[in-house]
Amino acid sequence: MSNQPETNKEPLLRVEHLSQYFRLGPTTLKAVNNVSFDIMPGEVFGLVGESGCGKTTTGRSIIKLYNCTDGNVYFKGRRICAGTLSYKNAKKEAYKALWADVKKACSKKKTEGEKVDLKASIANWHRICHEQNVQIRKAKHDQKRCDKDYAKENIALVKADYKARLKAVEGGFKNKEYKKVLWEYVKAYFFARKERYVTKIQMIFQDPIASLDPRMTVREIIAEGLTIRGIRNKKLVDELVYEVLEKVGLVREHANRYPHEFSGGQRQRIGVARAIIMRPDMIIADEPISALDVSIQAQVINLLNDLRHELGLTIMFIAHDLSVVKYFSDRIGVMYYGNMVELATSEELFKHPFHPYTRSLLSAIPLPDPIYEKQRERIVYNPLADHDYSVDKPTLREVCPGHFVSCNEAEFQKLQEILAAEAK
Amino acid sequence: MEKKLEVKDLRISFRTDAGKVQAVRDISFDLYKNETLAIVGESGSGKSVTNKAIIGISAVNAIIESGEIIYDGMDLLKISEDDFHKLRGDKIAMIFQDPLSALDPICRIGKQLTEAMILKNRAARRDARRTFNRMTKRLLKAMDAAMGVEKGSDQAKANQKRIDDFDRFSSKHLSMEKVYNAAQQAAVVVVEEIDDLLFHIEKKAVSEFSKKVRHIVRHAKDSVHEHVVDAGIVALADEFKATAKEARSKKDYSLVVDVLNRMLVLAKEGVERVSPNYFALGYYLTFAGQPLPEMEIGELNAFLRAYLDEHYMLSFIEDEKKALQWSYERSLEAKRVVIDALAEARPLFAEGEADKQAFRAAAKALSEKVADSIDPLKLVKDSAAYTFKTSLRSAIDTYFDAIPNNAREQRRFDKETKRYDRIIARGKTPDYKVTPAKIVDLELARDNIVHILDNLSARYQKDLENRDSYDVAVEAVALIDFLKEKAQAVAYRVTPLVAKNKAIKLMEEVGIPEPERRYRQYPFQFSGGMRQRIVIAIALAANPDILICDEPTTALDVTIQAQILELINKLKRERNLSIIFITHDLGVVANMADRIAVMYAGKIVEMGTAEDIFYRPAHPYTWALLSSMPDLDTNEKLEAIPGTPPNMIYPPKGDAFAARNKYAMKIDFELQPPMFQISETHCAATWLLHPDAPKVDLPRPVAERIERMHRINSENARLKAEAEGDDHE
Repeated sequence: MSNQPETNKEPLLRVEHLSQYFRLGPTTLKAVNNVSFDIMPGEVFGLVGESGCGKTTTGRSIIKLYNCTDGNVYFKGRRICAGTLSYKNAKKEAYKALWADVKKACSKKKTEGEKVDLKASIANWHRICHEQNVQIRKAKHDQKRCDKDYAKENIALVKADYKARLKAVEGGFKNKEYKKVLWEYVKAYFFARKERYVTKIQMIFQDPIASLDPRMTVREIIAEGLTIRGIRNKKLVDELVYEVLEKVGLVREHANRYPHEFSGGQRQRIGVARAIIMRPDMIIADEPISALDVSIQAQVINLLNDLRHELGLTIMFIAHDLSVVKYFSDRIGVMYYGNMVELATSEELFKHPFHPYTRSLLSAIPLPDPIYEKQRERIVYNPLADHDYSVDKPTLREVCPGHFVSCNEAEFQKLQEILAAEAK
Repeated sequence: MEKKLEVKDLRISFRTDAGKVQAVRDISFDLYKNETLAIVGESGSGKSVTNKAIIGISAVNAIIESGEIIYDGMDLLKISEDDFHKLRGDKIAMIFQDPLSALDPICRIGKQLTEAMILKNRAARRDARRTFNRMTKRLLKAMDAAMGVEKGSDQAKANQKRIDDFDRFSSKHLSMEKVYNAAQQAAVVVVEEIDDLLFHIEKKAVSEFSKKVRHIVRHAKDSVHEHVVDAGIVALADEFKATAKEARSKKDYSLVVDVLNRMLVLAKEGVERVSPNYFALGYYLTFAGQPLPEMEIGELNAFLRAYLDEHYMLSFIEDEKKALQWSYERSLEAKRVVIDALAEARPLFAEGEADKQAFRAAAKALSEKVADSIDPLKLVKDSAAYTFKTSLRSAIDTYFDAIPNNAREQRRFDKETKRYDRIIARGKTPDYKVTPAKIVDLELARDNIVHILDNLSARYQKDLENRDSYDVAVEAVALIDFLKEKAQAVAYRVTPLVAKNKAIKLMEEVGIPEPERRYRQYPFQFSGGMRQRIVIAIALAANPDILICDEPTTALDVTIQAQILELINKLKRERNLSIIFITHDLGVVANMADRIAVMYAGKIVEMGTAEDIFYRPAHPYTWALLSSMPDLDTNEKLEAIPGTPPNMIYPPKGDAFAARNKYAMKIDFELQPPMFQISETHCAATWLLHPDAPKVDLPRPVAERIERMHRINSENARLKAEAEGDDHE
């Protein structure tokens, strides 16, 4: 499904029916339930909702901190996350259908004109099972080894490239030039082997104190990703570290200090530096400003905004402060209890909030205006009172171009009427 | 308005390895009854430090250098830890910033909620009994004196008996009332639960059906009472139980709707019934010696009231008024004496040679006179009179201690300066700075002493002038209410079961789903928002007088933040709380605060009503705060405040905000600005308000936003007026 107005661009990140369940004793917690959205290159996608609605879990599933239960995530066209639940369910369904047929075949009072072809149904079941098994195998492979596939492809590219270059060098092994190229080849091969696909997505965490190791210096913290990638050249690492430090508004001298010597805003800057040193295409910012003072919040938002333009980053911005999200994001998704209930561009969402939950969220924003505040009435969202989903279950539907609302058929018709009336 | 809390010239520092951090520098503010004062500032501006001093939990390395915090006639900085223990949590409660560290990790939530209730209850009852006895004793004394009766005479005995009678019946009614309240409460619960269940049945979304059934049946049975719900509801409840069983087996919940509706009617009737006047009933049952007449509840109340008035209350109030009048007159006389004595003693303190012994003796004599002048029957304590003794004493001590201290400090300073200069002369740069000599201005210290005298003298003069405004009738009723309240507190026993019920109700009130299950869980099983709610519930459990909220909503998201703020506002209205609300987010404050104090680097830089701060901000720091937060219409780049707050080990010489302020003038770096009064309620400390300062416009984003807000508000007001006009037509 595409949630994007018609454009020629390929989405950078495509999330399809992502689900993330957690087992809690006998029950399962559906933290994220069938969430789909696209993120275009260069845009800021805001994700809002109350605490516990699954927005952080979505972010964490995307960068594979969890193994997702169901659904697919495509990053630049390559599947990086894949869950297996739907395939397993399909298998179960097929098995149930088979059993029903078997029961029918064995029952004594046969209705005339009906003859169950057991052989056909067994064959059907076999077929479905086989298909789903293949899918499951593929999904598991992608979930676990998408990075290694990427490395393999990279290695193949490097091999092809350098073999051609080596062949072009005259004189073979005795030529000095040949040795030089060979050495470069070894190095490139080494890096290609260590290259990871998922490092193109980086995360900034919520709590700037808890997310930095107190026993590592800032240099070590920032360079950790590089070290894991296999860059051992100290000079190069230092240069890169200094470069990003200056980019986020700190100075070189800060590299030798420990995290506790910094204020909250500076710590969050270190978190940003750690993310951007890997030269990611996308950053998932998980409430990067909620733990900061208001005056510092503005600094960090401005920093992210500058970096976004400078490095051409795509940002998925998870937050609960709606005025900040409105200011910063191009499109906003609203989540409620693991479901996406509304998705639109930020202007559109604040102008026409269609879903009652979005309305209740918007009515809760405090404004620096005492007279207005004293009259403000908060809308309370009660899903039971606001919807009637006893028969018709809601799905995410496109109400007007680029604006998606979770509703059922009746509500959809009502919204269309409202829109038509407004258009007049 | 009644002043609840007074903070005067508070100055707090911290001893650290790097040096003395001056966290709070000369803060003064008042907190009135039923008011929310918001303190806004960045982290490290000293907001939390101030409030920790108010609640008496300053860190070990904190030095309280000067100042007073006056609550209920006590200086909180000078009272002992034992006295503080009675106030803390009981009268002044605090909601802490970090919910995780405020909760005990190895203790169940239920225990943490009920612990304080049970522990504090015994002390509170003892305390209430003591206060009650003290007050009645004083009243009796005043009564005797007012009527001019001899000791041991018949009249004196009659007075004594009357007071004793009051004691006897004023708590008599409480046990009856308690039973009634429990039934009433149960009836309310039944109505709520049935409404809820009917709604869920209608929406076909019933969950935990059997649990709800059990709940309803139990509360329905509890709600049976003579004056609440008829006994008929028990039969209905049994019927409901049977039908519910059937409904469950058939999975058709609509079966129970009929019986539920019948129960609902009954329970609603019960909730709406008038309660009997238990206070009068208590008197009737104790002294009438007759059975209660059979009457309608309204008539019965009127009858009981009349009986009480006729036999007891009217004559009691009459005598009480006499006593109050007498006590008031006497204290006025004494005040006149005090004013004379103060005028007499003033030259001794103000002029001439200072002599420690003479000062002390004079202070002692004065203190005795002042103590005598306090009206013992007055309920609101006069802070100037109550703290006279301690503050005068400490002011005198400061003065005489300063004489040797100053000399020592001067010697140290001279010595260090000499060494410093020697190093400079050698052409090296020393790696330290000479701490300036901490010299107490003797003139000022002496002025402080005189100021205390003058202050009290002025206060008493005012009392003498306003003698006509004293209304005995009002005071008499207030005193009886006070005694009733104390009697109630004496009888209010919190057993573990009561505490549990109260805790569960509180948890429900602060919005925790499934409180019964949550009651048995540990803090780590809660999310951040839920933990914060628990902390709020704990703070509210003790029914405090003053509630200090230290960034209670910073870790919460918008909806829950709105809920918590609404909750705090609601509780403030219901319980007449005074609230100090600390936050760094100005947006949150707008709907809460009556007054706002903006703090920066340990000083209050601007103070005024919410309208003043948001519509007419005057200090550049307030401007910066307002312009650095985006709102729904912000599109341009945010104006962040550059840099970080100053290091308070070496606080800047001039205005602390000057270095980050783009409107800073030369004088800002050299001299601290005084508080400029802008209007009656609004003041700010910035040189921009000086008559000679250049005119500076508000920063553009702020000005635009204020204009927009005015536009929207006037639009709203117009729409509202129109709507009302339509209604009239």
